[in-house]
Amino acid sequence: MEEIVLDIENLEKIYPGGVHAVRGISFNVKKGESVAIIGSSGSGKSTVLRCINRLIEPTKGTIKLNNQIINNPMADVNDIRSKIGMVFQSFELFSHLTVLDNITLGLRHVRGMKKEEAEKSALKVLERVDMLDRTKAFPGNLSGGQKQRVAIARALAMHPDVILFDEPTSALDPELIGSVLQTIRSLADEGMTMVIVTHEINFARDVADRIIYMDKGVIAEQGPSEIIESPKSERLKQFLSSMNEEK
Amino acid sequence: MNHENRIFSWKGIPRSSRIIIITTMIIVVLITPNLAEGYYESSWEQVEKRSENNYNSAIIDENGDAWVFGDNGEIIFGDKIEQWMNFESPTNENLVTAYANNERIVAAGNNGVVIYKEYNSEEWVEIKMETQIDINSISMNSNDEIFVVSDNGAIWCFKQDNWIEIESLVSEKLNDIVFEGERGLISGSSGLILGSENNGENWEIRDTPNEVASSDIISIDFYGINRGYAITSSGEILKSTQEELTTTVGYNWYLKEIESENQSTSLDINLTSLEVLSTTKILLSGDNGYIALSKDGGNIVTPQLLSIEGDFSINDIAMKNAFVGIIVGDNGTILYTENGGEDSAVGFEIIDLSDFSEFVDFTKDNLLEGLKATVKIVIFGILLGFFIGIALAMCKTAPTTLKQMIEGDLERTLTLFWIIIPSTLFCTRIYGSGLGILSLSGLIILFSLLNYYINKNKIEKEGFLGISIPNRHRNNLIRILGLTLLIGMPLIGKWEIKGGIELIYTAISEFYNFHLGSNTFKLSAQIAYIFAPIGNPSEFMRLILGVGLTYLGLLFLTTNGTFSKKKIPYGKLVLISILWVIILTEIFVDSDSSGDKITSWFDLGWRLFLVLIGLLVTKRILPKEIKSVLKNSNDYTLTIEPWKIRPLQTIATLYTDFFRNTPLLVQFMFIHFGLQLGKHIQNIGLDLTSDLIAISSLLGPLDSLLHPIIDYISGSLFGPGKRSYLSAIFALGLNSAAYQCETIRGAIAAIPSGQMEAGRSIGLTYMGTMRLIILPQAIRICIPPLGNEMVNLVLNSSLASVIAYTELTRQGKLVVAITFQIFWTWGMVMIAYFVVTWSLALLLRRLEEKTRIPGLGISGGN
Ligand SMILES: Nc1ncnc2c1ncn2[C@@H]1O[C@H](COP(=O)(O)OP(=O)(O)OP(=O)(O)O)[C@@H](O)[C@H]1O
Ligand SMILES: [Mg+2]
Repeated sequence: MEEIVLDIENLEKIYPGGVHAVRGISFNVKKGESVAIIGSSGSGKSTVLRCINRLIEPTKGTIKLNNQIINNPMADVNDIRSKIGMVFQSFELFSHLTVLDNITLGLRHVRGMKKEEAEKSALKVLERVDMLDRTKAFPGNLSGGQKQRVAIARALAMHPDVILFDEPTSALDPELIGSVLQTIRSLADEGMTMVIVTHEINFARDVADRIIYMDKGVIAEQGPSEIIESPKSERLKQFLSSMNEEK
Repeated sequence: MNHENRIFSWKGIPRSSRIIIITTMIIVVLITPNLAEGYYESSWEQVEKRSENNYNSAIIDENGDAWVFGDNGEIIFGDKIEQWMNFESPTNENLVTAYANNERIVAAGNNGVVIYKEYNSEEWVEIKMETQIDINSISMNSNDEIFVVSDNGAIWCFKQDNWIEIESLVSEKLNDIVFEGERGLISGSSGLILGSENNGENWEIRDTPNEVASSDIISIDFYGINRGYAITSSGEILKSTQEELTTTVGYNWYLKEIESENQSTSLDINLTSLEVLSTTKILLSGDNGYIALSKDGGNIVTPQLLSIEGDFSINDIAMKNAFVGIIVGDNGTILYTENGGEDSAVGFEIIDLSDFSEFVDFTKDNLLEGLKATVKIVIFGILLGFFIGIALAMCKTAPTTLKQMIEGDLERTLTLFWIIIPSTLFCTRIYGSGLGILSLSGLIILFSLLNYYINKNKIEKEGFLGISIPNRHRNNLIRILGLTLLIGMPLIGKWEIKGGIELIYTAISEFYNFHLGSNTFKLSAQIAYIFAPIGNPSEFMRLILGVGLTYLGLLFLTTNGTFSKKKIPYGKLVLISILWVIILTEIFVDSDSSGDKITSWFDLGWRLFLVLIGLLVTKRILPKEIKSVLKNSNDYTLTIEPWKIRPLQTIATLYTDFFRNTPLLVQFMFIHFGLQLGKHIQNIGLDLTSDLIAISSLLGPLDSLLHPIIDYISGSLFGPGKRSYLSAIFALGLNSAAYQCETIRGAIAAIPSGQMEAGRSIGLTYMGTMRLIILPQAIRICIPPLGNEMVNLVLNSSLASVIAYTELTRQGKLVVAITFQIFWTWGMVMIAYFVVTWSLALLLRRLEEKTRIPGLGISGGN
């Protein structure tokens, strides 16, 4: 049996204002698998991701990482987060640090590495995202696509068990999307476990092993990437056609 | 960085031109002459040596002739202090002391020798004492009876041709005796001063300051009936003045803080003699040819020049009047002055203060001193303000709620309330505040380190210190904690910690005893109670603490483990009822004067206004018609979220609100004169110093290194005369912290929330993210507004002059008082301030450029 990295059961989130953003969803992610979550705006995709690494506390349900429940008060939330990489829509690079320092920060202060050691392994991940030539640059002087690749490198450097992508390409110009998607695709080929929230339907179909379609806080349909070609539910059909119209 | 965009850029000037500019400036500074030239010359003129004996005492008699007494019984006579000759002596013993009144001159010395000479006789006569004591001082009272004092508390009196020993009740060495009419004073070792009001028949011990308890009071002198001075061999000056009309001079002695020694109480000179020339003018002498003059009663003591090289001791001063006199010393030294011993200025006989160059020369030292003093408090103030400001800003933005403290961190909270705070209080009560602070910080560090090592490599934290409380016990422990907060806990023996209820109860009854609210229930009368905190500040602090503890206690005691909102049925109705009770009382209850009758239009207006307010508030709180009250009680429920309180934020908000809403001038005066913060901090600092020194003395060889460092730091921060300095630093720092806090908080709020999420998502802790990611960016943003704050702080530092801290503004006032050159003085002070703030601003501008993050900020060409 394949090893399950991430196991989510009956997750619910009600925001303080009373918005019932996620209404009980369950799914799991196996080792080496990449899962894409698609769905219309406001359907609760980001909320699910943020619950997973406890940037927000779920209202109900359990989340297990490597078979350990991570959403109880006793769990060491910092340690858990260091095992779950996160890539944000708006990059969130640390603008006062160089590219290299952005990546070594976590290694040095969370993993406790020496400076040289950290830089060595930082250079390795920078190579993987093809950013070796700009290590001394500051984020403010990078293009959007480069920024996102550095952000991916920052997550990769911690050697996480799983990486969460929250719309990694939505803030990018069309011509810059390619390089980022290429990077993610190569990660998938290398066997990285990933959960990707995306609006790039074609990309999801190409890269993801499994696709989850969320609507109004519940999973409306899930299955292998073929469901995009032949959607069963009416809602997914509508969603896909509306996406095509935009193109 | 873009040099082209700036109006002036130092780097934009070619290198060669820069070198020329700097060289020119150096040369200009070097060749500018000192503004006024001149030098001082001693006014002490040496009298031709007659022997190499040490001269111990000198006196100028009623005829204006000088007498000098020395070792081996040597007596020298100075006819009109001009013609000097040796005089035949009846003794070979060393003569050490002398005295003259209008009948005769007396002198005394070792082995009980006492000699005298009547004015109408040519001979010195010896009246030897049978007991061969070494006499230290001699004097005569108003009945012409001779008094001598000696070691071991011995006082002898020569009356009716007999030596009688007088009861002194002490065994200290007595150094000096002096009479002024019937009043006599004796000084001695161990800070002893004896006084007599009946011509020396009875002597009693007078109070002296604790600080001189181990000093040797070597000399004591009166001036008239209203001023007394004394000096110690360790260089302190004691002063006695007449207090009001009741206590005469000689009873109250206080230690002079010597302004010219930075408010220190000691000159650090081995003093030997004191001569009071007028109410405020005194001459002091000491070892190594020390002679000093003070014209303002010991405030400013200025050493004077001697015309000869001196590493000899000056033993006595004798003055005919305020100007003419002699000093005598070792190796046959006699020096004569006609100018009160004051150095005469040569080359600038009269300083013309209306000449700008002479004015600057005369005042620049004062103003420089003031500038230094200002810079000192400013630097410490800025640092204090900045660090407290950051701490406050972090408290204000901290998301830690009560719920988290109790739900997620119960173990830590319990350790804090049950171990750390009690042991700190215990230590403070028994060993003083110094050890209290040490133990508090020590315990916190110890527990944190322990916790860190225990949980270092664990994914699932095992609580705090490896102890984690099982779920089923958590609620009960919280309730027990609540109970302790409410009713306190007993400690070892009689030491106990009071609970919230008791604190409130005692504080309230304490306040009730003030009876501030007259004898009516009217709110407007009870309003006087807002001043109660000042009536008993410590009780007020206890009240606040009590309220806090009671709130927490009740909350914890009633927990059910859900930490949710609390609904109080009919809460709104209760609030409104209270409001109306207050309004109706205000309107209808008898007050002491006017009764419930309406006495004026204003009164009528006031009552109507109250009713109107009541109606408006009622309408606002109650959403529906009053008639549905009993049908639908849910509408009148008051919902509170007690667990959402953020304790750190609450405390920080109280702090900043208080400091930002009161005038700085008042804060200065309240902190220095009211709270006496400087004094308390000095005491705590000295406590801490002695504890640290005790600890360092256990360290063996390290001690010789640490001890001087501790001494130096402690001396420069908590030394004598540093009270207003400490108060000034704290007043400035605490005030500035409140403003800097808001600036920094604003900058933290300006950092996108994603940065915190990103930091946390790679596994950094909250504090780690704050320190490594948020603050570095936030501080960069707030450098310009912080610069504003700092410049403000420099300008505000001028208020320190009201608490007698001699900074620039106060120096300015002093200079104006002396020179009357108002325009120039304040102009110079203003320029000095400008230089300080301007360089600060330049520094900050530079810092801002240095720390600018590439790729951020405005760009896009000209
Ligand atoms: N902090 C918040 N407080 C209250 N409501 C929120 C908060 N964040 C999100 N929501 C609400 O929760 C719902 C789900 O939001 P979420 O961000 O998960 O959607 P999404 O699927 O990621 O949408 P998008 O594709 O636009 O990013 C939305 O209705 C949103 O308004
Ligand atoms: Mg989203």
